[in-house]
Amino acid sequence: MPRLNPVFRKKSSSWRLPVELLTFALYFLCGVLLILSRIGHGTVADARDELAELTSPLFEAASAPVIEARHAIQRVRTYAGGLAELDRLKHENERLSEWEWRAKLLERKVEQLRKLLGAVDEPALHFTTGNVIADARGPFVRSALVNLGREQGLRAGYAVINGDGLVGRTIDAGASVTRVLLLNDLNSRIPVLVGPAGVRGIVSGDNSGDLSLEFIPDGASLYLGDEVYTSGSDGVLPRGLRVGSVSGRAGSFKVRPHADLSALDTVSVLFFNTPTLASAGPAPASNTCELPTVEAPSIAPAAGKVSAAEPIPSSAVKKIGDVTGPAAPVTRVRQ
Amino acid sequence: MSAALPILSVLFAVLIAALPWGLPADATFVLPLVVVMMVFCWRVIPGAILPPAVAMLLGVLLDVTSGGPLGFWALLALVAGSVGHFSRGLSSRWDWSPLGLVWTGLATALACSGWLLASLYYLRWVDWWPIAFGAVVSAVLFPVIWRGLLKLYGDAYPRDDFTRRGVA
Repeated sequence: MPRLNPVFRKKSSSWRLPVELLTFALYFLCGVLLILSRIGHGTVADARDELAELTSPLFEAASAPVIEARHAIQRVRTYAGGLAELDRLKHENERLSEWEWRAKLLERKVEQLRKLLGAVDEPALHFTTGNVIADARGPFVRSALVNLGREQGLRAGYAVINGDGLVGRTIDAGASVTRVLLLNDLNSRIPVLVGPAGVRGIVSGDNSGDLSLEFIPDGASLYLGDEVYTSGSDGVLPRGLRVGSVSGRAGSFKVRPHADLSALDTVSVLFFNTPTLASAGPAPASNTCELPTVEAPSIAPAAGKVSAAEPIPSSAVKKIGDVTGPAAPVTRVRQ
Repeated sequence: MSAALPILSVLFAVLIAALPWGLPADATFVLPLVVVMMVFCWRVIPGAILPPAVAMLLGVLLDVTSGGPLGFWALLALVAGSVGHFSRGLSSRWDWSPLGLVWTGLATALACSGWLLASLYYLRWVDWWPIAFGAVVSAVLFPVIWRGLLKLYGDAYPRDDFTRRGVA
């Protein structure tokens, strides 16, 4: 073993006791912080929120080039496989044209049935859109920071979606930044309906790419590829948001989320004020807090109705329709 | 400015680790572990100033940006800093292999303890693969990070001074 530099040996011996004491105190402090975090102490949570708020402009500025770079890589990949992609899109377009015709037919039928039943029109779903400015990394959490906050009318408990489906829900709302708990986080539990039969279950995260499907009733028939969407029975998330599709194998079914949770950039937050959320605390003061209660997003896409806080482009409005509602049947393989 | 180089570089790494790179779920442990590795490396390099208290604060900042419980990364950074401090005798400017072995052992220990701590925190067994994957990748990245930090440090200090401080 090489000989230690004598200068450093001498220096360290004179400071050994205080340094070791200090280091021990720091270890102790880390333990205390961990315990306070575990019990959810208010001071720790407040300090974290303050710090996240302070650093959010920095992250917002730093994340912009990263997101641009990701888009550039995506574009290069798309160009590289351009012909194959073109073929795929042609086939998809043909399939979707067929579905469009069927959807219009069904829409007319639904409208007629609603008139027959005298059903009340459901309010539209309001939302606002922002960007992910920071990811969470580590064994504990799968979350993301979004550059929207109480100033835009956000608070804890709102559903967060992107163009592909449900992403997670808000858990902490600062003035201008909000933390989103992703679907694959250990703490995430979402009540869902599975397949055309609407089998009830709970989708929970385990920090991996896929989600666990639990509490399925005995004897329920599930098939690979069955669509999974929110049931709304928790009173927090709206009913009918697309979550993913059934994967895995019989006995230990998984759900593969439609949204790529590891590569999020633009997300929308749905203003869904259920009694559960309303009783959780007063609505934040903002120009979006008077939004009406929303029901059944599968039937009421947010066309033409946008958050007062931020004008939403028509492309974003379209996404609401894409992610809501029981999805189209897919080719299924019986287990 | 040169004296603050270790702190600034780790701070920069904390910022980088929190950015939305779009890494797959299996690779989520890699970037924070690189931050911890940088703390280890700076504590190894004689003359570089990165006190344990600052290492802990940087770990707390990593906890905040990652959304995890406060104290987790701070604890790992402290452990890495302490091991780095006691490994100073192994430091050599060009031969990184002894330190690489130390880091590989330390990364394995940190991964195991981090996994146990996470499981204890949630009272359930968390997925071990991302943590193991992060430890393996960090061991592979060690020579790159070590050489990079030495280069950074060498540029900040004159070569004579660098050698006098104990890095051969």
